[in-house]
Amino acid sequence: MTRPDPQRLRRTMALVGLYVLSVVIALTLAAVLIAITGGPWQKVLKALLDGSLLKPGRWGDTLAGATPLLVVALGAIIATRAGLVNIGQEGQLTVGAAAAAVVCTSFSGPFALVAGLVAGVVGGAVWAALAALLKFGRKVPEVITTLLLVFVASQGTGYLLTRTFLLLDPDPNKPNRSQTSAQLGTSTRIGRIHLFGNEIPWTVVGALVLAIVVSVVLHRTVWGFRLTVLGRNARTAQRIGVPVVIAGATALALSGGVAGLAGAVMLTSGSANFRLTPGFSNNVGWEGLLVALVARNRPLMCIPVAFVFGALRTGAGFLASTGVERSIVDVVRALLVLAMLVPPAILALWERRTSPPPAPVSTDEPIVSVVTA
Amino acid sequence: MGAAAPTPAVRLSSITKHYGPITACQDVDLALIPGEIHGVLGENGAGKSTLMKILIGLVQPDGGTIELAGAETVIHDPQTAADLGIGMVHQHLSLVESLTVWENVLLGDHRRFDRRAARDEVMATAEHYGLVLEPDWRVSDLSAGLRQRVELIKCLRRDPKILILDEPTSVLTPAESEQLFATLRTAVAAEQRAVALVSHKLAEVLHATDVVTIMRQGRVVERTTTRTATATSLARAMVGREVSLRSSAAAFGAIDVVDAVAAVAVDSEHREEVLRVDGATLSRRGVLLLDGLSIHVHAGEIVGVAGVEGNGQRELGDVLASLVALDNGTVTVAGTPVKTGRAGAMARAGVAIIPEDRHDSGCVLDMTVADNLLIDRIGRVSRFGFIRRSAQRTRAKQMMSEFDVVGAGPDSTFGSLSGGNQQRVVLARELSNNPKVLVAAQPTRGLDVGAIEYMSGRIREAAAGGIGVLLISTELEEILDLSHRIVVLASGRVIGELNRVDATSERLGLLLGGIANTVESGGTSDDAS
Repeated sequence: MTRPDPQRLRRTMALVGLYVLSVVIALTLAAVLIAITGGPWQKVLKALLDGSLLKPGRWGDTLAGATPLLVVALGAIIATRAGLVNIGQEGQLTVGAAAAAVVCTSFSGPFALVAGLVAGVVGGAVWAALAALLKFGRKVPEVITTLLLVFVASQGTGYLLTRTFLLLDPDPNKPNRSQTSAQLGTSTRIGRIHLFGNEIPWTVVGALVLAIVVSVVLHRTVWGFRLTVLGRNARTAQRIGVPVVIAGATALALSGGVAGLAGAVMLTSGSANFRLTPGFSNNVGWEGLLVALVARNRPLMCIPVAFVFGALRTGAGFLASTGVERSIVDVVRALLVLAMLVPPAILALWERRTSPPPAPVSTDEPIVSVVTA
Repeated sequence: MGAAAPTPAVRLSSITKHYGPITACQDVDLALIPGEIHGVLGENGAGKSTLMKILIGLVQPDGGTIELAGAETVIHDPQTAADLGIGMVHQHLSLVESLTVWENVLLGDHRRFDRRAARDEVMATAEHYGLVLEPDWRVSDLSAGLRQRVELIKCLRRDPKILILDEPTSVLTPAESEQLFATLRTAVAAEQRAVALVSHKLAEVLHATDVVTIMRQGRVVERTTTRTATATSLARAMVGREVSLRSSAAAFGAIDVVDAVAAVAVDSEHREEVLRVDGATLSRRGVLLLDGLSIHVHAGEIVGVAGVEGNGQRELGDVLASLVALDNGTVTVAGTPVKTGRAGAMARAGVAIIPEDRHDSGCVLDMTVADNLLIDRIGRVSRFGFIRRSAQRTRAKQMMSEFDVVGAGPDSTFGSLSGGNQQRVVLARELSNNPKVLVAAQPTRGLDVGAIEYMSGRIREAAAGGIGVLLISTELEEILDLSHRIVVLASGRVIGELNRVDATSERLGLLLGGIANTVESGGTSDDAS
């Protein structure tokens, strides 16, 4: 092990201090905002804690809600590791859920459930692969394509839900059946663990395992190493034999596949009463992205962060009793995200101010330059 | 210096500048006398550039005073400096490529001007200093030497009392350097301007200056009149110890020393040909970067590729690093053709590379030293696809001790190493692969003298061990110091080839100068020089 480095230690201390400070500031701001909008903040806090943890059966719900957030975040990390910015999880998740819905409403039995999850992965992967195709074939930035494909995905899924031969529930007796898929049969639902009056879907365990797997693959395997090289210096990667296009496209598709899995997980664990509906994704894709951001792209760090974000989701349901707008939770969440992102930035700025600029890198322009007509 | 010395145009007293824990300048005194060319000599990182940045207001000192013509002054920013009559020609030129010469010269002026009068004024300034320049040339069409001329005229037109030149010859051919010094001496100094010439090259300081201040680690270690100095005395002061190796002489630009040493001839005819580039052609956005370039290297031979920067060196390096695919032409390594542009193909075929810019394609700055050392062979320290960290660390330590990488452990980030150590890590990695060919592109650029000696020694050893070395460098001294055979590159092709025994700096300079002339005339270069 390396010797303890006093400078490094001081840096870590400063970072921790900044985190504490910024979280405190964020919570104070949140309390002030809540007070302004009319509710006593103590009551709001209590409602949030009740809704997410304390009331019977709530922490199980929180775990269930945190699971897809964690899975989405893990997918985002894979793309980031390869130097690609996939922000289309919301769409990949929707497509994954739709693919899973097709499989799981057409067949039944445990194999259908597995096939449904696989279909989710494939759906999300294909959706992300479209972006990869545009990126490596036509040089369209993946930030733009992944984002815009979100809207294509939600519109496309909406269409699927208007035709009975596609996904619309064929049951004529169901009232108000517009744009809702058939409910999944019990054989294609994820099993639940019963624990102290909480119902926890088995996918919670699966997601935890996935977080460990992703962490090990990215940090400990040759494949993850080469992906890291690609993400940090594509030209070095090309030089040492990482096929930039193939590896990049694989990472992007895999990232989408994991988001698609999150969609399939949501569907089969009953987040919308085991049906696919418009707006099914419910911002989980976006929030999962925030989880990865706050966890600074470390797979294991995503676990607690996803839990906190899940708690905010379930806690928000209990806010109605306090008379405070439910959307205050979004503000709190945004403040928390900022609080988690600001400290490293401040530290970097501070270090740049107090230490010399990095050694000049040769930036000589080639003399043979483009002759403008 | 006598007590009755004339009033200096500028006097810096006890200038101190810290960057965090690093001291860039410590109690530096410097006085520039009108009509005198003052050399500021020092290795990279000696504090020369910081001092000059303080003088033109880019950096504010932590302590010390600046007196202009006897009056204490604070220079807040470069604009103030310009108003006070301080002009600087930067090492990295800052011209707008798409504008013409006269437009660039006038850039930054705050006044209305008449186009014709402005052109004439630029022309007049150029003629006054004997610098041939056409005001209507577009800067993007000009060679580095001509661009620098534009910068110089831009400075001189504002009639500066103090002129600073930062490493002015780094982009020039020997002939262009000669011309620059002639201009400085006859015109600039004669007009009673005070000139500071910042350099790390002994030869040009000896040749072109009146007084020389030598800096080391942020301090002035010696100040002397140039007449009484010798190359050895300056070198000793600069490095702080005795230097006698040829490589250090080359590093300081003392060509004479290099020339005096007879090169070792290599009987290349009877050796295996390890690298052959045939008719390499490459163009980007309609610009021909490589134009039927052909080079071959035998085992045990060091082939120097000389040429003014920007004539295809970077592209040649990129091709041999599998970074770009050729439009036309072939690359053969040890008899086997290698597909260009395929990821890792060159490395697999046995081409090791010390890239021109290691941050660009040689390493990953924010990964560890151990990661960077084994970046292309991570599979060798893995089992079933899992990296064995202990094996990786052991192997990395072995390589680090073998190549004298000091001051850091295998787990430190690569970016935290000094330039010399970074270059050693790259070298260690590349040479541990048992390569057939070593491509060294600007291997000593930006390194200090110790590191330069080390690199040169390693390159010689590699060749002696049977590796074919392709040395791509714009430093003539380095080429002359190391090569057995020299090819000259211009406009993306080889325009001349010399055996080391036939090569003198004059002959090479002529070849390079010939290129500069053809570029100047704006036409296509032809083989005759």
